[in-house]
Amino acid sequence: MKIDLKRDWQAGRLKLRGLAPTLRDSIAARLFWLSAGWLIVALVATAFLLTELYSHALDTSLSQTLDFYSETLISHILDTGDPASNDIFIPDPRFSRSGSGWYWTIADDTGQVVNLSPSLTGSVLPAITTPFNAQKYRTAALADEFGVRIRMVEREVTMKGTTYHIVVTGSLDEIFRLVADFRGQTLTVLGAVAVMLAIMSFIVARIALRPIGMLRKSIEQVREGESSTVTGAFPPELAPLADEVNELLRSNAQIIERARNQVGNLAHGLKTPLAVLRNEAAGNKTRLGEVVVTETEKMTALVYGYLDRARIAARTAVVGRKADPTIVMLRLARVMEKLNPERTVAFKRPDASLPWFRGEEADLEEMAGNLLDNACKWAKANVAISMLAERNEAATMLLIRIEDDGPGLSPDEAGKVLQRGVRLDEKTPGSGLGLDIVKELVDVYGGTLHLKRSQLGGLLAELRLPSARLGRG
Amino acid sequence: MRVLVVEDDANLNRQIKEALTDAGYAVDVAFDGEEGHFLGDTEPYDAVVLDIGLPQMDGLSVLEEWRRAGKTMPVLLLTARDRWSDKVQGIDAGADDYVAKPFHMEEILARIRALVRRAAGHASNEITAGSVRLDVKAGKVTVDGQSVKLTSHELRLLSYLMHHKGEVVSRTELTEHLYDQDFDRDSNTIEVFVGRLRKKLPEECIQTVRGLGYQILED
Repeated sequence: MKIDLKRDWQAGRLKLRGLAPTLRDSIAARLFWLSAGWLIVALVATAFLLTELYSHALDTSLSQTLDFYSETLISHILDTGDPASNDIFIPDPRFSRSGSGWYWTIADDTGQVVNLSPSLTGSVLPAITTPFNAQKYRTAALADEFGVRIRMVEREVTMKGTTYHIVVTGSLDEIFRLVADFRGQTLTVLGAVAVMLAIMSFIVARIALRPIGMLRKSIEQVREGESSTVTGAFPPELAPLADEVNELLRSNAQIIERARNQVGNLAHGLKTPLAVLRNEAAGNKTRLGEVVVTETEKMTALVYGYLDRARIAARTAVVGRKADPTIVMLRLARVMEKLNPERTVAFKRPDASLPWFRGEEADLEEMAGNLLDNACKWAKANVAISMLAERNEAATMLLIRIEDDGPGLSPDEAGKVLQRGVRLDEKTPGSGLGLDIVKELVDVYGGTLHLKRSQLGGLLAELRLPSARLGRG
Repeated sequence: MRVLVVEDDANLNRQIKEALTDAGYAVDVAFDGEEGHFLGDTEPYDAVVLDIGLPQMDGLSVLEEWRRAGKTMPVLLLTARDRWSDKVQGIDAGADDYVAKPFHMEEILARIRALVRRAAGHASNEITAGSVRLDVKAGKVTVDGQSVKLTSHELRLLSYLMHHKGEVVSRTELTEHLYDQDFDRDSNTIEVFVGRLRKKLPEECIQTVRGLGYQILED
């Protein structure tokens, strides 16, 4: 089974927009997108969620650290009794580095800053605009003068009758960097998992669809004439389909058989009255007799022409038939010798590896029979039949050669008789339609007919027909 | 020569009978398979024109029955089904030739002539015995190149004897092969015709084999 990856992929991409496969999409793509597709979506969502959770956890942890530092400052104020004391500090070197994002300030209730971290020297913190909560606590994420994003925690405390505003900040950019690293790693790992899952889904789809490929192959063999029925061990989902195809083939064959019988009945029904009319008028030299003769000739030609066409049309739909050319040619040679006791029909028996004819046995008989009939009609004494397999680049063709020692045809004449309805000698018995039906059948089967000069001296007809593999169906 | 025509279409049957009669054959007709089979089984025919599509019993079955019973007369099949598979089937059933409908009457005559000739072992349309030459196709007789006028009964008698040249042919056999079943058979008429023929042909041409019949000697 071959899966067109690009086409399936595009079908799947279109699918993501519609989010549900339609009946027109390839089954492989449906399977792929319904399994791997949603897994990949889930993985992307997981990566997003994990990052969010991690980011949230880091932020919470930062807030807790800032709360702790805030409490450290309060205890220092209580210890020293002076909020402006130089002894107030937080043992974290980041509070000493300018532009680190880690700052603290202690302001009195007028908003006047009475103490600040060394890192904040020379600059001012942005003001938190949100109101205090019941615990006199508020927090915000803002940016400092350096553009560093910071988490700010502000606490209002009243000590010994004085109210202080204690602000502690920490760098959010540090967190964002960590989150970005985390996101990158997560996406890498989950991406790898997604690729693995996609490959697995693809393989699963292929394995799951393999019986469909087998079924297609089997039907193809029927069409190619290598088998007459769809055969093989199919899973329960496909076995009824194979049975239905076989039923269809059977009913098709029956319909064709019926159509052929009806064509035959029609032929018989029309030809007898035509024969009567023609014979009756043949001896009648009046104008009426002449008209009837001319018109019955036309009707006869029409009847033959359309019956042949109807038979050919009924025949094109036939699949899965093949015939052993050796048996057919032996039979025809026997018939021809009986019909023409003065002629010798030499049949060179081909070796057993000769491929079979891919088509209806009756059609092979029709083509070879008419050529053989012509050969016997024109031969002085000898007619020869030989057959062989001819391998060309595309396929193996069955080559049937029928030759005689009669007058033969010039290349010019040979070209002419291969045109429809042309007869070189109107006096030789026969309807002249023999070669027409041969040509039409050869066309139907995609074969070729060549007329050449035979080594026997007369005409050599080379009939090339499609072959079926041996010993199958 | 006596021919049986089995054809269910009354008009076609009549036309074939007329054409064959005009060509000098004694003709019996049947319109269905059973009647045809019975006639072919009981009467000695020199050839049969047999349609395949017949009521009661189809032509191929009739033919197979005859062949099974050991009847060897040449049979020309008339068939509307002119596919090769049909022809093969007909030949395999024991037919000697076939003509597809619609046909020209000359074709039937030519095929019957060829079948009768072939059955008698003659390769050409001309049979000679001494100075007597019979053109089967044209129905003409010459003696030393001189044309001889014969009535149709005389021609039939001579033709039968010429076809069976070298054999002794009994009066009964002649009666059976020269007249259709409706003819009032009186073996004396054979002697009358032999007598007339002897006057028109060289005396020694038709020999009488006492107690057995007549014979035209091989050259």
